[in-house]
Amino acid sequence: MNGKNNNAVASALKRFVSNHDFPRLLILIAMFALTAVMQKNFFAMKSIVRNINSFTPLILLTMGQAVVIISGGLDLSVGTALSLLTCVATSVMRQGLPITGVYALLVTFAVAMAMGLINGIGIGFFRVPPLIVTFATSYIWLGIALFLRPTPGGETVDWFQVFYKIRNIESAPASLKAFGEIIPPALVLIILGCILWWIISRTKTGRYIYAVGGNSESAYVTGINTSWVQIKACLINSVFIFLAALFFVGQSRSGDARMGDPLTLKAIAAVVVGGIALTGGRGSVYYAFVGALIFSFVSKIIFFANIPNAFQTLFSGVIIIIAIAGSQLYTLSSRKEMEESKLT
Amino acid sequence: MNQTAKVLEATGIRKHFGGVIALSNANLVCRSGRITGLLGANGSGKSTMSKIITGVYSADKGEIKYNGRPVRYRNPNEARQDGIAMVFQNLSLVADLNVWQNIVLGEEENKGLFLDNRGAMEHSRAIVDQLLPDLDIRKMVHELNPGEMQIVEIAKAISENPKLLILDEPTAALEQAQVKSLFDTMRALVKKGVAIIFTSHRLWEVMEICDDIVVFRNGANVASIDFAKDGKDPEKIIGYITGETKEAKTEKKARTVSGETVLQIRNLNYSRFLKDVSFELKKGEILGIGGLAGQGQHELMLALAGNYPGATCDAKLNEKKIRLTRPAYAIRNSIHLVPGDRQLEGLFLSHSLFTNIIFPKLGLSRQPLFTPRKKYRKECQGVIDSLSIVTHNMDMPVNSLSGGNQQKVVVGKWLSFDTDVLLLADPAKGVDVGAKRDLYDYIVGQVKENKMSVILYASDNEELIQYCDRLLIMYEGQIVATLEGEEINDETIVATSMRVR
Repeated sequence: MNGKNNNAVASALKRFVSNHDFPRLLILIAMFALTAVMQKNFFAMKSIVRNINSFTPLILLTMGQAVVIISGGLDLSVGTALSLLTCVATSVMRQGLPITGVYALLVTFAVAMAMGLINGIGIGFFRVPPLIVTFATSYIWLGIALFLRPTPGGETVDWFQVFYKIRNIESAPASLKAFGEIIPPALVLIILGCILWWIISRTKTGRYIYAVGGNSESAYVTGINTSWVQIKACLINSVFIFLAALFFVGQSRSGDARMGDPLTLKAIAAVVVGGIALTGGRGSVYYAFVGALIFSFVSKIIFFANIPNAFQTLFSGVIIIIAIAGSQLYTLSSRKEMEESKLT
Repeated sequence: MNQTAKVLEATGIRKHFGGVIALSNANLVCRSGRITGLLGANGSGKSTMSKIITGVYSADKGEIKYNGRPVRYRNPNEARQDGIAMVFQNLSLVADLNVWQNIVLGEEENKGLFLDNRGAMEHSRAIVDQLLPDLDIRKMVHELNPGEMQIVEIAKAISENPKLLILDEPTAALEQAQVKSLFDTMRALVKKGVAIIFTSHRLWEVMEICDDIVVFRNGANVASIDFAKDGKDPEKIIGYITGETKEAKTEKKARTVSGETVLQIRNLNYSRFLKDVSFELKKGEILGIGGLAGQGQHELMLALAGNYPGATCDAKLNEKKIRLTRPAYAIRNSIHLVPGDRQLEGLFLSHSLFTNIIFPKLGLSRQPLFTPRKKYRKECQGVIDSLSIVTHNMDMPVNSLSGGNQQKVVVGKWLSFDTDVLLLADPAKGVDVGAKRDLYDYIVGQVKENKMSVILYASDNEELIQYCDRLLIMYEGQIVATLEGEEINDETIVATSMRVR
């Protein structure tokens, strides 16, 4: 090999390694490899689909949460919002009446938007700290959900499983069933979410979400309607919650007022693992995806490592702290290096 | 006379903030195709005037005509839409967007459904090329140095094709070459008929670029000079800035400064703020630090108090080498700081006087396990008495006190220590006259008894003139002049600060 070529490779590698997100990708690859080693038939179609299914809700909620956090907000109500949506959907549907599934879709979507609007108006218009607004609304969503469905249950229509496993629907055409075998519906939902963000990030709204989260004062003097941008961020979050709710109802075929509770903080933590600043304005929604994946692999690893039940929670906490601390240290050291090279 | 059209005419503008009158009766005229310089000392009302024109503040009284039409903007956005752009002193950039995204922010154009990024980049590139061709417009703004940020800020204002451009001290953060290209850009804009208002503390810049100037003093315009007609006379301009009539000076109390050196600083360097600062502080001396605002005085005080681990210098205290890289080192060596922003840096606002005054003691080594409360309360009462702090009792939270009394508490923190060197950063800022006198009387008394030496930075020249034995003038992080005795007067300070002499 000649030296010139070597240099080019080295500098390309160096650029890749000094990338701000490099440690996160490294952690993801490590987690992925560990899971692949530990889980038998990890690469079998069946396990892949099962993994995607168990990862989907967190991935969707994390991406939604990421949008809100980048805009300078925070949403503590995603979990109960998700629960409420499942309760609403299962209350509207009647078994054996396929048309009620369409009603459920419409009503659930409207409720999701209304919830986003309420959070957004509280944050953007009344300037109440997001923590307070969404903490309060999380109890309101929970209250309504418990009123609708004191105990888990409810009715669904058969075709709603299109969001989980198309094969289970008897009346579905064979081609659709075959499609569902190749690309699981959960993956379709995630792709839908990514496309949504891909479109938004190429419009003014996407740019303004970063501007408002980064420095709302500057954004305001530049003539941006900061309140409206924050409201829009909450509405986008609602779309992601809506997609997660569809998956849940398809999977469990019931509504549950408490099912979303543990997901709220998980989604926020996954956003942080994905390298998005809690102060807003910095980070990528796609990396929220990475954060959620790291999080999901951790729980898989714990599960397959035969760690006694009593220690599983403890271990997942430790792994997450190591992951965040590792990437923080890496960022700090590379930043220091950069500053030193700037001075000379 | 071939006068061009009046773009802006402001007459009889009045504005007060609380009890402070920022503008009493200010007038300003700008004509298209001309650069009007705004000059004046710190706090003379230049910035307030600019902010009233752009709708950041609204005037209490007076009329503003823009292109002959009376206007009253409620926010900067309305002014922008009318073609008035302002480059703010405190930058209005979003740090986490890159350069071109900042330049087009709020003015983005769509191509179909999506943003027209290519067009925006070309547009930004064209503007940045005039100002700083080397700048990579894909860089994030938080990666830029202050000069580059200022350039981006200016580019952002120009990109809106303004009819009236207000530049509020745009050159403070710029290097020589950048100033030159800014001036070239300004000249090109003026040729196209834009009117520009230019504020700067650097007199030579104003004389180079402006067609006419307006001098502000104490909230009113005191002079208008058309350079083409009246010529350029820096001495005359300084006379207008400082004011010919001087108040009777308070008699400076004679002090004997011994020849003994207390603190010797050699080659103090800190990032871009301080460059090779060297000086000596004699025993029983009040050494002043002056100059225009933001020339490194604040950083010097903080560096001496050990706030910058990255600062390097050879420091000797009473012939003994010391390190000044941590606040704890400075305190141990009896160098005590009264910081400029007392609410942020000097006090625990919601805690009691007692807590605040005894707090530095808690950091002493060999502190007993349990605080000797009774003893400390007695000491605290002593502090309150000797500084005549006005309060009901020592358990009142500090934020219930007036600004002057708060400042006394900050000084009082160090009273029970043996202070060798007291660093005072703008101690009279936001302090009423009575408290100011109490404070200085106490400090001068201490200095007279040879108990300590003082380094005083004040943004108000009057204080420096009244109390300092020697005065160092700072400019861009360097000490450019040392004034002694009779030299310490307003005119010399302003002239050396602006580097015309």
